[in-house]
Amino acid sequence: MKNQDYLYLDHAASTPMRKSALDKYIEAESFGFANSSGGHKLSRNSKNLLEDSREIIAELFDSAPSEIIFTSGGTEADNWTIKSLFDSKQPNNNLVTSNIEHEAVLASAEWISSNGFQTKYAKSDENGFVTKDEFIKQIDDETKVASLMWGNNETGVIQPIKDISKELKSINTSTLFHSDVVQGIISDNVDFHRNGIESAAISAHKIGGPKGVGAMFVNNKFKLPSFLHGGKQELERRAGTVDVPGIAAFATALQEQQTRFDEEVGLMNDERLIFEDKLKNALSVEIIGESMKRLPHISNVQFRDINSEVLLIQLDLNGLGVSRGSACASGAQKPSHVLQAMNIDSKFINNHLRFSFGWTTQAGDGSKAADIVMKAVKEIE
Amino acid sequence: MRILVAMSGGVDSSVVAALLKEQGHEVIGVTMKLWEGPNGEMPESGCCTASDSEDARRVASKLDIPYYVLDYTESFSKNVVDNFTQMYAQGLTPNPCVECNRSVKFDHFINQAKKLNCDKVATGHYAKIIKKNDNYELHKADYLDKDQSYVLHMLQSSDLENITFPLGEISKPEVRQIAARIGLRTAFKKDSQDICFVGKKDYRSFVEKRIDLTSPGEIFDTKGNKVGDHNGIHEFTIGQRKGLPGGYGTPRYVTKINVQNKNVTIGEKNDLLVSSFIVEELSCINDLEYKNLTIQTRYNSEDLPCEIKKLSDTEVLVQLKEPAFSVAPGQFGVIYNGTKVVCGGRISPKVLENVE
Repeated sequence: MKNQDYLYLDHAASTPMRKSALDKYIEAESFGFANSSGGHKLSRNSKNLLEDSREIIAELFDSAPSEIIFTSGGTEADNWTIKSLFDSKQPNNNLVTSNIEHEAVLASAEWISSNGFQTKYAKSDENGFVTKDEFIKQIDDETKVASLMWGNNETGVIQPIKDISKELKSINTSTLFHSDVVQGIISDNVDFHRNGIESAAISAHKIGGPKGVGAMFVNNKFKLPSFLHGGKQELERRAGTVDVPGIAAFATALQEQQTRFDEEVGLMNDERLIFEDKLKNALSVEIIGESMKRLPHISNVQFRDINSEVLLIQLDLNGLGVSRGSACASGAQKPSHVLQAMNIDSKFINNHLRFSFGWTTQAGDGSKAADIVMKAVKEIE
Repeated sequence: MRILVAMSGGVDSSVVAALLKEQGHEVIGVTMKLWEGPNGEMPESGCCTASDSEDARRVASKLDIPYYVLDYTESFSKNVVDNFTQMYAQGLTPNPCVECNRSVKFDHFINQAKKLNCDKVATGHYAKIIKKNDNYELHKADYLDKDQSYVLHMLQSSDLENITFPLGEISKPEVRQIAARIGLRTAFKKDSQDICFVGKKDYRSFVEKRIDLTSPGEIFDTKGNKVGDHNGIHEFTIGQRKGLPGGYGTPRYVTKINVQNKNVTIGEKNDLLVSSFIVEELSCINDLEYKNLTIQTRYNSEDLPCEIKKLSDTEVLVQLKEPAFSVAPGQFGVIYNGTKVVCGGRISPKVLENVE
C-alpha cells in the first residue's frame, strides 16, 4: 500500500513536514549551512537565519527572543528544566508534577527522586484531569519546580494551567512553573506569559516541522544552568553547533501552522466529532474524557469488548495507522500509565486506541476512519 | 493463504517467513514479547531480547511484510518464570521451553491468528505435520539432529490443523544457505542456547533473586554417611556432577533430593538408573497407542524403547526395556511410535525413588 492510500491518524506521535518547511530547509542548508558561531560571511548568513527564526517563534508566542532556546525537541526541554535546577546544596528542594505527564517528565522526575530529592505527584481524577486543588496542595516553600502538561498526549484532556499558575505563586514565588505544551500547540492557543507558564517544551515535528528540533521557552526571570556543556551557543545556554536549517524549517512550519490555525484545527475538530459520533452509534465504545475540555486532535476510544492489540494490527492491515499507549523499546505495547492513573477498570485497560488528527487531516477522514474501524471490528470478532 | 509467522529474530523463523512469502502466501510477521525485567529491561541474550526483535523487524522489512510485536509478558511470567523457580524449589528440573509452548505460546497465538483472519500460523520449529484421514499427526523432523518434536508434544490434532512447520524437511545448513541467498541479516546468527529469561547468567542466581531458597541441608552418601552441607536444594538437580564433595576416585552424582528434610544424596552413576516411572499431565495428540513405543526423557535425547500402562486419562506408567540414567522428575517424557509423537507429559516425582 502506498503512503497516500494509507489513512494516518497518529499525528500526536509525529506529522509529515509541511512543504513550506521542507523548501525552507533545503534553502537554508545551502544559504545558511555554515557554523552560526563563525566570523565570516557565510556564518553571518547562518546566524541571521537563526535569529530570524528565533524572532518569528518568539513573536508567535508573544514572548521575547531571549526567552526562546532551541533544543533537540520536547524531551530535551523537559529534562533540562526539571533536572538542572536541583542542587545538592539545597537537599530539601522538591519537585511537583502529575501522574499523567509524558514519559520525558516522569522519567526526569524519577531521576530527581533517585538523587535524593522529594518528588510529589498530583493525582489525576477519573476524567484524566488534575484539579487545581490537587496540584496546589502539593506545593510548599521548598518546591523548586512544578510541572504540569498543557493537554495530555493520550487523552487530549486540557489541564487547568492558568488557575494553577496564579495560585502557585501565592504559595511560593520562586517556584518555576514548567509546562509540556508539545501536544497543546497542535490544536490549542498557547500563550506562555498570559498563562503564567515560566518554562515550556515545544517540538517541531508535531506541527509539520522537522524531527530532532524543538524549542524551550524560559521566562527571562529565570536563568537555567547549561545542560550541554561546550561552546557558547544559544545565549551561552546550550553548547553544540546549532541546527540552523532545522530551526529555520521549524519557524516556517510554525508560521504556517499559526496562519492556518483556525482552518486546520476547525477541520480536526469536525472530523474528530464525525468519527466519534459514527463509532458511538455503531459500536459499544466510550470516548475517554468526552465530557472534558479536550485538545481537538485527540480521541482516545475504549472498545468495551475488544482487546486493542489485535485491533491495531487489523486496522493497520486495512490501511489505518493509529496507536495504543506508549511504545516500548521492542515495540510491544503496555497498558498506559495515563489510563492507570485514571483508574480505568483493568477489564478494559487493554482495549484502548488513540486516534489523533493533525495538519494533514482532510474532510472525510473522520468518516473514513470510522468505516475502517467498524470493518476491522467485524473482521476480528 | 494468509499466514501469521512467529518471528523470534533467529535464522529459522526468518527463513520460514521468507519461504512462505516466496510460495506466494500473504505473510504477517509477529514477535511475541515474552519477558522483561522488573524495570522493563530486556534480557541480554536468548529469544526475546530487544536486539532479536530488532532483527525480526529488519527481516520483515526486507521481505516487505507487515510486522508487529505482541505482548505475552504477563502470561509468560505467570506460567513459565514462576513455574521455573517453583520447580527448582521443589528439587525438580524444569523445562521452560516446553512449558512456554504448552501454556503460553500456541493457544494464544492461534487465537490471535484466527482473529486476524489468518488461515494458519507458522513457526521455525523443526518438526513435521502429517494429515492422516481426519487427524493431524506430529512427526520428527527429517534431520534428527535438529528435531524439535519433543518441545511440541502438547499440541493437539486440532491445533496442528492450524499450524505449518516449513522447516520439517530441511536441514540447518540448508536453512542458513537459504537465508544467505536471500540476504537475510540473520543468516549466520548463532543459535541461542540460553534460557531466554535467564540469559547468560547462572540460573541459580536468577532463582535465588526471586524466592527465598536459603534452606540449608545436609549431603549424604548412599550408605547414609554425612559428607557435607549445602545452602538449598535448588542448587541441585538429579544427575548433577558439578559442585559435589569429592575425593571418591570415581565421579559422584546427585541421586536423591528430599524436599521435606532438604537432604541431598550423592552416589555413583549406577545409582541413577531408573527403569519405571510415571508420566503425568499427559496430553495425547490423537488416540493413545501401546505398540512399538520409545520415549525421550530430555530434549533431543536418545529414544528409549518402552511399554506403557494407562493409569488414568492424564497418567501413564512407563516401563523402560533397559534401565536408563537420564530420567529427571520435572522434565518431560515424550512417547513416540517411530517418528510419530503419540503423547507426552511431565515425569512425575511420585514413584521415582530419587525424590522422596
